[in-house]
Amino acid sequence: MIRSRQRNRWSSLVGILLALALVAAGCTSSDSTDTTAASTDETTATGTDTTAGSDATEPAETTEPAASGDEIGNPGVFVHAADDEPTTLDPAQVEPGEGGETMILQVYERLLEIPVSGPDPVPGLATEVPTLENGLISADSLTYTFPIREGVTFHDGSPLTADDVLFSWERVMDLELPGSAAEVLSDVVDSMRVVDDFTFEVTLQEPNAAFLNAVVPAMVSSIVSREAVEANGGVVPGEPNEFMQTNMIGTGPYQFVAWNRNENLQFEVYDDYWGTPANLDLRVEIGANPDIRVLGLRAGEYDTIETDPSFIGDIEGAEGVTIFSEGLTVEPIHIAFNMNAPLDQLPETDRIPEGFFDDPRVRQAFNYAFDYEAFVQGALGGFGDFNPHYIPIGIFGYDPAAPVYNQQDLAKAEELFRDAGVWDTGFSVSVVTEEANLFEVAALVLKDSIDQLNNPNFEVTVASVAEAVFDEAHASDPVPYAMWVKNADPFADPHAYVDAYTNPDGEWGEIHGFRDAYVDPDRIADLIDSAKVELDPTARAALYSELQQLLYADPMWIIAAQEGVVSARRDWVEGFVSNPLWPRPSLKFALMDKG
Amino acid sequence: MQIRDYILRRMMVLPLLVVGVSIIVFGLTRIGGSPIGIYLSHEMSQDEVAQLEEKFHLNDPVPVQYFYWASGVLQGDLGWSGVAAAPVTEVFLPKLAATMELAISAAIVAVILGIALGTFAGARRNRLPDHLTRIFSISGAAMPLFWFAILALIIFWVNLGWFPIGRSDPDMWARISHPTNLYTVDALLAGDFGAFRDAIWHLVLPALVLGYGATAIIARMMRSSLVEELQEDYVDAARAKGLPERLVLRRHARRNALIPTVTVIGLSFGFLLQGSVVAEIIFQWPGLGRWMADSVLRGDQATIMAYVLFTSVLFLFVNLVVDVIYAYLDRRVVLGE
Repeated sequence: MIRSRQRNRWSSLVGILLALALVAAGCTSSDSTDTTAASTDETTATGTDTTAGSDATEPAETTEPAASGDEIGNPGVFVHAADDEPTTLDPAQVEPGEGGETMILQVYERLLEIPVSGPDPVPGLATEVPTLENGLISADSLTYTFPIREGVTFHDGSPLTADDVLFSWERVMDLELPGSAAEVLSDVVDSMRVVDDFTFEVTLQEPNAAFLNAVVPAMVSSIVSREAVEANGGVVPGEPNEFMQTNMIGTGPYQFVAWNRNENLQFEVYDDYWGTPANLDLRVEIGANPDIRVLGLRAGEYDTIETDPSFIGDIEGAEGVTIFSEGLTVEPIHIAFNMNAPLDQLPETDRIPEGFFDDPRVRQAFNYAFDYEAFVQGALGGFGDFNPHYIPIGIFGYDPAAPVYNQQDLAKAEELFRDAGVWDTGFSVSVVTEEANLFEVAALVLKDSIDQLNNPNFEVTVASVAEAVFDEAHASDPVPYAMWVKNADPFADPHAYVDAYTNPDGEWGEIHGFRDAYVDPDRIADLIDSAKVELDPTARAALYSELQQLLYADPMWIIAAQEGVVSARRDWVEGFVSNPLWPRPSLKFALMDKG
Repeated sequence: MQIRDYILRRMMVLPLLVVGVSIIVFGLTRIGGSPIGIYLSHEMSQDEVAQLEEKFHLNDPVPVQYFYWASGVLQGDLGWSGVAAAPVTEVFLPKLAATMELAISAAIVAVILGIALGTFAGARRNRLPDHLTRIFSISGAAMPLFWFAILALIIFWVNLGWFPIGRSDPDMWARISHPTNLYTVDALLAGDFGAFRDAIWHLVLPALVLGYGATAIIARMMRSSLVEELQEDYVDAARAKGLPERLVLRRHARRNALIPTVTVIGLSFGFLLQGSVVAEIIFQWPGLGRWMADSVLRGDQATIMAYVLFTSVLFLFVNLVVDVIYAYLDRRVVLGE
C-alpha cells in the first residue's frame, strides 16, 4: 500500500511537472523579435533598373499610428496572407486570374514588364521596348525585335539567351494545355526566330495594338529555363509538366524554395539577380479564412493581406495597420444575359419565354433596375466605381464621357419592361453564382432590385452553388442558366475585354448568342476588329469610344461595379506599391521592405 | 468469447461495413452533381471538358463510376484533389498526421483534465468545488467551438502574442526531416529540442481549445458516474473495513466510474475529429479537417470520398477498441453477446 501511494504521488508530480514544462515551453517561445535583422535601409527598392524611373504615385492611405516600440513581426521575411492556393506554378498552364499567377509574377520575368504605375510596358528581360522610331518594329508593324539583356542567369545558374525566350513561347503554344492562356500567344504569333544569342524576333499574324502591353507582359509569356525544363520532363504536347507545375526556375528577384500545400509557399532572395535585389525573403501563407487574415494582420504575423472591401470595417482603426485603397481592379463584376439558355434545362422555377433577352429593352431594363449604390456602398464598403460596357476604368480606351449604368432608375426600368411587353406576362429567372462571396451578394442585390419594382409577376431566384458546381455550369455550352454572376478576367488591353465580353463572334458572344441579339452586330464586330489593328492611339480610342456608346444601348451584361483595389498592411512595410494590372493582389513583394 | 476471437470477427465484418459506407457516400456526393467542375476552368473548350469527362469516366452510370473509384482505391489511387492540386494519396498522409497530432493532443488534454475534474467534483458533491467544476464543464459544452477558438486567438495570439497560429515556424520545420510527419515525434527523433519546443508551442492553444469541449463532457460523465458509485454498497463495505476515503475513491469507486466514462472518451475522439475541422480552419492547422472543409465548399469529391473512407474505418476501429477496453474494465461484460 505504501509503495502504491508513493507511486501515485510520483506519477502526480511527474504529471504536474510535465504539464508545467509544456506550458512553459509554449509561453517562453513567444516571438523573439530581432529588429536588427530587418533592414533599416529606408531607400525604397523599385525593382529593376528600368522601372526605377517609372512614375510611381503616392497611394491613398488611411494610416493609424503605430504603437510606440512596435516590434516588427517575422524579421527578415516578408509574410503575405493570400486568398487562393495555386493550382499550378507553370506559366504555360496557369489560368489568368488564378492564384498561381501571383507566384509567377514574383519568380519569373518577361521581356517587357508592367511598371509600378500605369499600363505602358517597360523593359524587363528585353533591354528596349520596340517602337517604330527605334526600328525594332518593322514598317508593316508585323515584326518585333527584342534585344535580350545580357548577364542574366536563371535560378539554376544557367544563363539567359534568346534561345530560352524562343523555347518559352514555343513551349506554351506546343503544350496548349486546357485552361491555360496559350491562345494569348498562339492567336497572335505567326513565327519566331533567334537572330543571335541576345536578339529575339517575332512576327505577328496581323498588326496588333495589344501585343506590347497585353501579350508580352502576360504571365503566360514568362521566360523559363530551357535547360531546367528539358532536364525535367521536357515538352510533351497536351501533357502538363509535373516538375514545372510544382517548381519554379525563373530569373526574377525571388527564387522558389518550397510549396507546402494548403499552408504556404516559400521564396528566398536570389543573390545573383541582375536588377535591384529583393530586400527580404518571402513567405506567402495560403488559404486562411478572411477573418483570420485580418486577425493575423492585427497580430503582426502578416505584413500584407489579400482582402476585399467588405473586411475593411474590421481593420479600420487597428493599431499599426495601414489600409491601401487606391484605384480599381480591372475585373468588373458582371451579371450575364444568356440568350442561348436552353429552356428545357433551366431550373424548374424558371419561366422565361424563348428569346427573352433578345430584346435590348429587357436587358436595358435590368440594367436600370439594378441598385448600384446598394452594391457599392454595402458589399464593397464604398470601394468601387462603374465602368461603361465594356472597358474598365484604367484601361486604354476607357471613355470618361461614355454613358454608364450607375444609378438605379426603377421608373425607367418599368417603362422598358412595359414597352417590351414583359410587365404583364412576367418572368421567373434564376441567377447562378458561387456561394458566399461578392458574386452572391451581387445576385442578391439584383433580386432585391427587381423586387423593388413591386411586380408580383417578376421573380429572381439566386441559385448559390459550390464553386465546382458553378465552374461546371460556367464551362458548359450552352450554359444551363439564363443569368450568372462572376467577374471579368483581368487584361491589360481593351481588345481582350471587348473581344471576350462583347464581340458577337467572341468567346462569350458565341456561347450566349450575342449575334442574334445585337441590334447591329456587324458594326460592333467591325469596331472591335478595327481597334485591334489600329496602332494610332487617338484613332483607336475613338473606335472604342463609339463602341462604348453602342454597347450602352445594347448591353450584354449588368456591370455591378468595378471593385476598388483594397489591401491592408502593417505600417512597418516600406516601399509599398500596387498596380491593378499585376495579377491579384497586384503586389510585387521584392519592392517592399520592413523597417 | 475470447477477446482475440471477438477482434477477428469484427475485423472480418469491417470491410463490408466500409464498402457499405463508401457506396452510400459515393451515391450522395454524385447527387450533388458531377465532380468535373473542380477540374474545369472557363478557359477550357467543350472538347477539353469532354476529354476530361472521358478520362475520369464521368459519362458512365454511377455504379460504373463507383467501380472505377473502388478499383483505384484498391490500387492505392484515391483520385486527384482539385483543392490541393495533387493526387489525394500524396497529400493525405501528411495532413492525416497533422490532424492526428492535434486530435491526440486534444484528447490527452481532455482525458487528463476530464477525469481529474470529474473525480474532484464527484468526491465533493454539492459543495463549492463541485459547482465551480459544473460551471466550467457546462461552459465547455455550451460554447460553440468556432466562437471559443476565435476568442482564444484574439486574446492569446492577437493581443498577448503568447501563442502562434499554424503548425510550425517554417524555418524550424525545414531544419529537420519528417519521417512520421508528426512534428513533435520528428523533432524528438531528430534530437532538435528547438523544433520540439516549436511544435509544442504551436500545439498548446488549438489542443486546449479543442480539448476543452471534450473535457467538459468527460468531466460531467465522470462526476455523475462517481457520485453513483459512491452510493453503492461495496463502497460502504470498503469504508466499513476502515479503508481511508482516498483509497476508497481511487481503488474502488473511481475504477468503476471509469467504465461509462471510457465509452464517452471513445465517442469524444469522434467529437475531436469533427471539431478539428473548425479548429484547423481557425488555427490555420494544415490537416485533414481544413482540407476537407475547402473540398466540401469547392466540390472536390475525390477528397471528400477519401476523408469519409478514412473516418469510417477509424470510427470502426475506435469502437472496437472501446468495446475491448470496456470488457477489460468490467469483467461482467461478455464480448460478442
